Parts: sequence; structure tokens; C-alpha cells
Amino acid sequence: MRVESCDVLCLGGGGAGITAAVTAAEYGANVILVSKEPLGYGDTRISMGLTSFPGVVEGDSLELFYQDLLKGGEYLNDPELAWIMAEMNPFGVQLLESYGHLFQRNNKGLIGSDVAYLIGGHSLPRSIGCPPGGGISMGNALRAGAARSNIRVFEEVLASSLLCSGEHVAGAVCFDICRGEVFLIRAGAVIIATGGAGWLYYPHTDCNSGVNGDGYALAYNVGAKLIDMEQVQFMPFGLTHPASVCGVYVGEPSLAAPKGLIRNRNGEVILSGLGTMTRAQVTNAMAVELSRGGGTEYGGLLLDLEPNLALPEGRQMWNVRKERGQLNIVRFAYGEDAYRWKKPWDVTPTAHYFMGGIMVNTSGQSSVPGLYAAGQAMGGIHGANRLGSVSLAELFVFGYIAGKAAAKECIGQKPLDCSQGQEEAAGNIKSLSGRKGLYSPLVLQRRLQKTMWENVGIARVEKGLRTALKEIEEIEETCENLKIASQISYNRDIVHTIEIKHMLTVAKLITEAALMRCETRGAHLRLDFPEKDEKNWRRNIIVFKENNNFKIQSEAVKF
Amino acid sequence: MCREVSIEVFRYDPGTDSSPSWRKYEIPFEEKNTVLGALLFIQEKLDPTLAFRYGCRYNRCGLCSLEVNGKPRMSCHSYLEEGMRLGPLSKLPLIRDLVVDRKGLFQDLAKYELFIEKNTDNTVIFEPEQGAKLRGCAECLSCLAACPKYSFGSDDFGGPFLFVKLAQLHFDPRDKKDRIEQAHSLGINLCQDCKKCYCPNGINIYRDAISTLLKVKKND
Repeated sequence: MRVESCDVLCLGGGGAGITAAVTAAEYGANVILVSKEPLGYGDTRISMGLTSFPGVVEGDSLELFYQDLLKGGEYLNDPELAWIMAEMNPFGVQLLESYGHLFQRNNKGLIGSDVAYLIGGHSLPRSIGCPPGGGISMGNALRAGAARSNIRVFEEVLASSLLCSGEHVAGAVCFDICRGEVFLIRAGAVIIATGGAGWLYYPHTDCNSGVNGDGYALAYNVGAKLIDMEQVQFMPFGLTHPASVCGVYVGEPSLAAPKGLIRNRNGEVILSGLGTMTRAQVTNAMAVELSRGGGTEYGGLLLDLEPNLALPEGRQMWNVRKERGQLNIVRFAYGEDAYRWKKPWDVTPTAHYFMGGIMVNTSGQSSVPGLYAAGQAMGGIHGANRLGSVSLAELFVFGYIAGKAAAKECIGQKPLDCSQGQEEAAGNIKSLSGRKGLYSPLVLQRRLQKTMWENVGIARVEKGLRTALKEIEEIEETCENLKIASQISYNRDIVHTIEIKHMLTVAKLITEAALMRCETRGAHLRLDFPEKDEKNWRRNIIVFKENNNFKIQSEAVKF
Repeated sequence: MCREVSIEVFRYDPGTDSSPSWRKYEIPFEEKNTVLGALLFIQEKLDPTLAFRYGCRYNRCGLCSLEVNGKPRMSCHSYLEEGMRLGPLSKLPLIRDLVVDRKGLFQDLAKYELFIEKNTDNTVIFEPEQGAKLRGCAECLSCLAACPKYSFGSDDFGGPFLFVKLAQLHFDPRDKKDRIEQAHSLGINLCQDCKKCYCPNGINIYRDAISTLLKVKKND
């Protein structure tokens, strides 16, 4: 079996992973970066590219931005991480530009107040963009930054498990998708930057197809603590049909400003004044109406933007969105009248971002020695709800922090012995090809995704959560009986098998945490506990594995 | 009985198959279904071994490019039609079925130094509009399939993807290298008046990238 060695192994080829890898290399580490997709083709690229940049508008300050993060996060945030986010945000923006990206400038060539947008939950305009490319330009710049660095990049390679030397993480078992090869990477430290797990809710997600929560499961399986996994952000406006684009994002609450409305199937207005509401507030109101049976035949509600056309600023907003190309998808799916806001859009919330994730300290270090996390894979910055445009800046800030800390930890250290369990872990993947069982791993993914959307999605109740746990257990058993193709190159059955195992682990963590949090806070809506419970639930929920058993506990927030 | 759409898909595993074949599939009709919708249906319901790439499902990630009836398209925003033939991008090495090897394109970034220098001053920057437009290149590689002169692995002719990269850098005020010179050493003169390059995301490659790199040299 092929064995590669490095100081720092970085899992994930998006904004956080590339920043972490390039930073670790700049601090002298020998780095390998592993990316499940071609490098830089993940969620960072498909984003709209709006990035927080506090301080461009007079009266803004790091302190005010920090307070917005906490308020938006309904005070579940890790205050130290939120402060770092605020303080280093300008640095993160500069770091990305140094790879080749450019944010929009004003006529003085500056990122000034006249190019800053106000996004729901922020008290001042502080989000900057980069039309027309948006996140695509970020993806291009990240690839360029990686190419400029001396890191080694393995594209279309997936880590199936982490290896340890005693308590210390010491490498990973990897699967090269194109070559069909199982191999090992030995490392002094591992950084997880694999993004979120929106794909657990497919088709109701606007995330890229590889975003299965691999990193959460990898970390959990070696004993790392994860925080607030129940907090899953659903963007309020995703398409409901046709099937191939169901879940694709069409806008966030500010899209509806100033006069847009949400109506139910009978045309009754259920929400207005959306422009100043957070994503969680709009999504939760929609979830309540959908659970009352107010949804259309496609399972959506009607976003009526036509009232905006009566106002000059509303017509201007239509023009802005048209120019940015944001309405093309609506024309594609719903036709010309919908594109022109003359006909309402059928929309339903779509899984977008995980506020929860791997628990880390201010150096990006997890509770397991040698294991770091950055970007969406880590948790704690955003508490119970993330403000728009902060997740992109987060990638460069926390990617940098983790990359620097991981490099400092392992440079000059002797390689660790990761032989413990490596043969078995590699053998588990090697033996998958050609299995003659009954169930397709992809069909099992679909079954899990259905139960997650129906029972652990935008509106939760105890009964549904328990149904989901039972279903997760049944799918786990079914995973013993898989039917897997025997092709060597690009065998998606093997990829789907590695993924479904990770997805089941993550699904369980989300569901258990959702069951424990008996209140409604941020993105977590419990129809059976519809109020926020400040007395009992200003607490974080921590999940981890101890002596091979699942553990869950709550801890008071760190304020 | 519900209506079906009949399509043909290129199937070939160079490791095991003696020759490629076109396999026929029947896809249930759905209003405004896409080519990607058909591929996902095949993978889930008919044949999980079909190999294809996709990511975002609408026009952002650049992963799902393929050829529809011999023309490069994004499968996510091409409506499905009766009788379509779906094949891989023809100019890149094939891995299997609709999946081509994209790794060489990343290696080219390092080989041709397609990045700005470190530690640039980013405070005051005026970027021409053309540069901003080219930043929208999704790197889907469709342009290579449409180019009559591109051949993978040849250093004589860079091809439209590299020329877009060079033009992006040419328009970036921070970049210090002579990208026009570089474009000429990569054979951009062969592009003169050709205009056959095509971008499924609406970038006018000839006007906004290639002609700029060509024109400036001529006026030297």
C-alpha cells in the first residue's frame, strides 16, 4: 500500500482548507492537501461571494460587529471565537485578495462605504461583493494561491478514517476516486476543513454535492467534541421544482425588501417586512406555516415580490438583481413572469450552513491532540444563527489560524507511528468493491436524506426526532448488506458507501442534539417547545464518543 | 402510461472495455427537466455505475460540463430533449464514461505561473471592467472542447482556458508579468479570426480575452 508523509495534512479543498494548507506551508511545514472534488470547486466557489468587512461605513467598529454576531447567534456563540472573527475579519479579506481575488472597488479604487451592502442581522452595511464572478472568482483565486504555494495537492481523494498514535492524530486512510486506490497519509497534524453537511437534506440544500459532513464524522470517530450540531441554517428561499434544481438558492431575506411578502397556498399573507429579519426568523415563520398545511402542491410557500415594482427603489432592486444574474435561475425554473416578479415564486427553505461543528480553541485545535478544524467544519463562532456574508471571511481567518498553529506544532517533530489500526481501516475500504448485497449505498443516502428533511429539518418535534433516530439505526443495519460495483476508476458506489457511513454518524449527532435542546433558538425550531428558554438553555450542547459510546452533555455558554 | 424521453449516453471504461458504446436510457418526462436531472435519474434508478461529475446543480461550480450532441454544455442548465446524445468533453483525457481528467489544468497553473506575486499592495486598485467579467470564468473547461486547435498536453498551443487565465492576469493591475508575451509563446496567434471558442456561461472569450492579448502585440 502506498504511504505518503507530511507534517500537516489538510482535508478539504475550499476556502478554509486551501488557506490552512498554504499558511502551514508558509510557516515551514511540509503539507499535503486532500480534496474530494477538484481543488477549489466546493461551496466557496458556488457562493454569491458577499463577504463581511467591518469598518467600511462610518460608525462601524469591531465591537459593534462582535455584538451583532452575538445577537444574531442568540448568545450561543463562543465569545472568544466570535471576537477573533471580528478582529481578524479585515485581515482575512486581505489574505484572500493576496491569492488573486479582488473585491469590488469604488471610483477611488477603494473598498468604501459606497460598495458595502446591508444584509439581514447586521446593524450597518458591511458586506462587500465581487460581481459578476462572486464566489467563482474566489474559487479561481484559491486555486491560484494553492498553485503558487509548494503544497502537494491530491484532487478527488476522500479520507475514510483518521489514524492515531495513542491519543494523537497521526494520519488518514484515503481513497483516490479516479484511480480507485486506497492509500495512507502519515501526518504530524491533521486539519479538517471539509465544510458542512447540507447534503444530509438533499434535495433541499443549496450546497455542493460533496458536502456530506465527512469531517464531522472523521473527528467524532477519533473522540473529538462537537458543539451545537442541532443548529443547521436553512436559507429561506430555495426552489421547489423542477426536481433537478430543487433546493437551489434564490435569495435571502433582504431579497424581499422593501415590500415583498410571503403567502400561503390560499394567497393569505403570512409574513411581511422581511428585509430586516434574520434567515432564522424568516425560515422559522415559514416552517410553522408549512407544518400547519399551508404549503403548495410543491411543498413551498409563495414569495410575492410584485409589490416592490410599485416603488422606484423596488424596481431598482429588480435591476440590480437582474444585472448580477441572480434572477436567471428563476427564469430557468419558473418562467418569464416569475423572472419579472409578476408571478410569485414557489419557495421552501433549503439547508445552507452548519453553525455547529468541531469544537476548537482559539488556535483552531480540537479536543484531540494533533487535530485541528477550520471553516464550516468548526463550530462555535456563530452560535444559533449565522449572519449573512460572515462565513466567507471566516474561512480565511480560521484557515490561517489553524494552518499556522498546526505547522508550529509539528515542524521538527519525529513522524508518529500510525500503524495502529491502519491495516483494518484500509482493508474496510479495499473490501468494498464488488460486494453482492442488496442495497445501493446511494439509495440509502436518499432514504436518510428524506428522514432528515421530514423529521430533523426546519420544524422539529420529539416524536419526529425519535422516528429519525430509529430510521438512522435501521439504515445503519442495512449498511451491512450493500451492493457495490466493481469498477476501479471513478466507482461512485465506494464513494457513496464511505459517505453514507459518515452521514449516518452526523445525522445521529444532529438528531440527538435537537432532541436534547427543548427550546426554540436560532435555527433550531421545536414546535413542541416554541419559546426560547433563557433560564435553562443558555447552554451549548456537546457531543462526543467515549469508550466507543455516544455521549451528550450541555455546558453553560462562556459569557 | 407516462411519457418518456429517450437519450443515449457514452459509456466507456478504458481499463476494461474494448471500445466505447452509446447506451440508450428512457427518462420519465418532467416539465423543464435538465440533462443533469436525467443523469441523476439514471444513477439512482437505472444504473449506479454511470460516472459523471456535478456539484451545485445550477451554473456555479463548473463541474458538470459535458457534450450534448457533440457540443460542450453544462448539464445543469441544459433542458433535456428527446434523442440527445451525451458524451464527455472531447479534448481531455477520459477517465470513465462522462468523466474527464481535469488534474492537468491545475498543474498548468503552477507550470505557467498563473498567479499574482505574493505581498502585493491591494489598497487602491482600479480593475478594468473586462477583468471583472473574466473573473466569472467557472473553469468548466467547455471552451477546450469547442476549440478546433487545442490538444491536451501540447506546449505549442495553450488553448482558450489558459488564454482566459492570462487575460485575467493581464487585466489585474497587481500582476507584474508580461502575459501578452506569454500568450504569444503559447501560440495565441493561431486564434486570429477563428472565434470558434464557446463559453456556456456567456463569457465572450474571443472579444474579452483573446483579442485583447492578440491586439496589443500587433500594435507594439
